[in-house]
Amino acid sequence: MAERNITYLSEASMITCVLQTGLAEAVLDAAHNCGAQGATISYGRGTGIRERMGLMGVTIDEQKEVIRIIVSEEQADRVFEAMYLAGKLDTPGKGIMFMTKLDRVATFIPEDVLQKIA
Amino acid sequence: MRYSQFLTQTALKHQTVSYNLLTPKPAEGDPTALIPKKIKVTPMRAAELVGPYTYVRLMDQIKAVVPLAAYLMLFQILVLRQPIDSVVSLCVGLVAVIVGLAVFMEGLNVGLMPFGTIIGDNLPKKASMPVVLIIIGILGVGVTFAEPAIGALQAFGASVDVNKAPYLWVLLNVYPLPLVLMVGAGVGLAAILGTIRFVRGWSLKPMIYLALIPVVALTLYCWPDPTLRSILGLAWDCGAVTTGPVTVPLVLSLGIGIASAAGKGDSSLSGFGVVTMASLFPILAVLILGIFVSLTLTPEQVVAIAANAASAGATVETTVWDETPLAEIVLGVRAILPLVLFLMFVLFIVLKSSLPNRMVTIYGLTLSILGMCIFNVGLSYGLGAIGAQAGSTLPAAFMEIPISKYSPIYPEIIGFVIVIGFAWLLGFGATLAEPALNALGLTVQKLTNGAFKKSMLMYSVAGGVSVGIALGVAKLVFSLDLMTLLLPLYGVGVLMTVFSTEEFVNVAWDSAGVTTGPVTVPLVLAMGLGLGNAVSAIEGFGILSLASICPIVAVLTMGLFIQFRQKSAVSTPA
Repeated sequence: MAERNITYLSEASMITCVLQTGLAEAVLDAAHNCGAQGATISYGRGTGIRERMGLMGVTIDEQKEVIRIIVSEEQADRVFEAMYLAGKLDTPGKGIMFMTKLDRVATFIPEDVLQKIA
Repeated sequence: MRYSQFLTQTALKHQTVSYNLLTPKPAEGDPTALIPKKIKVTPMRAAELVGPYTYVRLMDQIKAVVPLAAYLMLFQILVLRQPIDSVVSLCVGLVAVIVGLAVFMEGLNVGLMPFGTIIGDNLPKKASMPVVLIIIGILGVGVTFAEPAIGALQAFGASVDVNKAPYLWVLLNVYPLPLVLMVGAGVGLAAILGTIRFVRGWSLKPMIYLALIPVVALTLYCWPDPTLRSILGLAWDCGAVTTGPVTVPLVLSLGIGIASAAGKGDSSLSGFGVVTMASLFPILAVLILGIFVSLTLTPEQVVAIAANAASAGATVETTVWDETPLAEIVLGVRAILPLVLFLMFVLFIVLKSSLPNRMVTIYGLTLSILGMCIFNVGLSYGLGAIGAQAGSTLPAAFMEIPISKYSPIYPEIIGFVIVIGFAWLLGFGATLAEPALNALGLTVQKLTNGAFKKSMLMYSVAGGVSVGIALGVAKLVFSLDLMTLLLPLYGVGVLMTVFSTEEFVNVAWDSAGVTTGPVTVPLVLAMGLGLGNAVSAIEGFGILSLASICPIVAVLTMGLFIQFRQKSAVSTPA
């Protein structure tokens, strides 16, 4: 029987960022420049603020891009802030983001990388 | 921007606030306390919201209009050495085109499209099939009126010489309304057949053959008659004009809604084919109208009418309603209003349903009418003017014309090559810039599991359009007969259709309609008519029709090539 191995990664967090369509590119760039290693982008529809603003609601695109990035706890704050600034989330209507602690993460980790940290 | 740069530029301050303080709390005796309150938007916040909203939408249109206009102007100044007339009104016109299109497209998305979706989803549940089909047919007429490029056809009617092409003159000047109605009827019929096709899952191939038979038959009937021959160019061009940014999405959203309600909406190909039909039937409709006119009026009578109209026009004072910008506004309102009224009638009376967000819909409808008006102003002062100028100065490259003091600038052969090359590059650039093509490319790539790459489709369509426009210009310059070019090309297209698979047939025949958008059509039409007048050709139509069939042949060729390669890859053991 072949022996198989799982390496659990600890001290990881996930940043989720929901943005108007078309804004994701700049935010992804910022995250990558701060050392984020990968990102998953999915598409969705947002409700809430648009409907409560009356006619001004048309200026906000209903279609959203959802970015999910797994970060180490060391880099988490840095990446989070960079994404917030790049997405101009301090202006109205751009989007919302949040960070959650992850229990464990597992994926393929090359041998040499494991040996280096051992 | 790098994070370190952020830190040097911005001082980040942190503060933490409990979300508990922000959410609504239950209050004794007030049941509405938990419902989130309406948000008041301060002017400052409004500016922050509206700024990026307008910027993105304007940029889309600027990307489509500016490179083309710049190319035409630079070519005229640098290669033809002819200064540009009335630069100021031209630039104002181009700005109007950009703003008008941006406003119109936004209005279309916010105001008109929700109608299409709601009606498409609900109509088949509440009405019988014949009623559904009738409504779709009428809708076809309505969307044709609302199509921005249709205005271009009417705008250029005045430049036709009544003595050389009497019936063409009648169609464009005496019967512009029946002309658009007939084109609309063609689109309506196409929409009906397309919907039946969705539901029944018919193959597109036999429909192409069946639609082409009467078109070709009537064309052959008109061809030998020199007075009727002049309407052929217009008729075949109408097919390309109709399939624009209003017709395609609205008819598709209806058709797909109905197909999914009928349980046949699963085929990824079901969205295709309507565009093809909508570009073939208007040809037939215009030909019928032309033949009808020729049976009721003789060419001599037409010339007499024209002479009367000219002398009457000299005496009758033009009213305020004929002047810019009122005339354009009337045109814009007349284009959109019937469609909106009809959609409302279907929604409120037939479906007895209501709109989810009334204020936003009204805003969208206002925008689409406003955008159409602005676009119409820009059409005559911007796109039309610049195209006509380029067209009328083009012949200076190879022959002597009065407006250019340097003409002929180049020896005859080189001049021809320059003009044809100019047309080729114009077609290539304009097509690649068309956003609809990009979308089609993505769909096709998904549909064929990557066998037909997006870039391959885009380049073969752009190559086809550019060859078509170059052919069309060559037709005008050498006064070739349009039909000797068109009919063999359609023959080749049909022959290749027989051997191609259903997927490629759908994609190829639709790709032609997709590429002729609201910027390309007026520009190419105006250029063709200007060029036609300058070289004293009978009429300047026909470029668009050649620009429709060439990409069909190009995409079919590419499809057959891919099929062949896949087959040979399978048969040769690896």
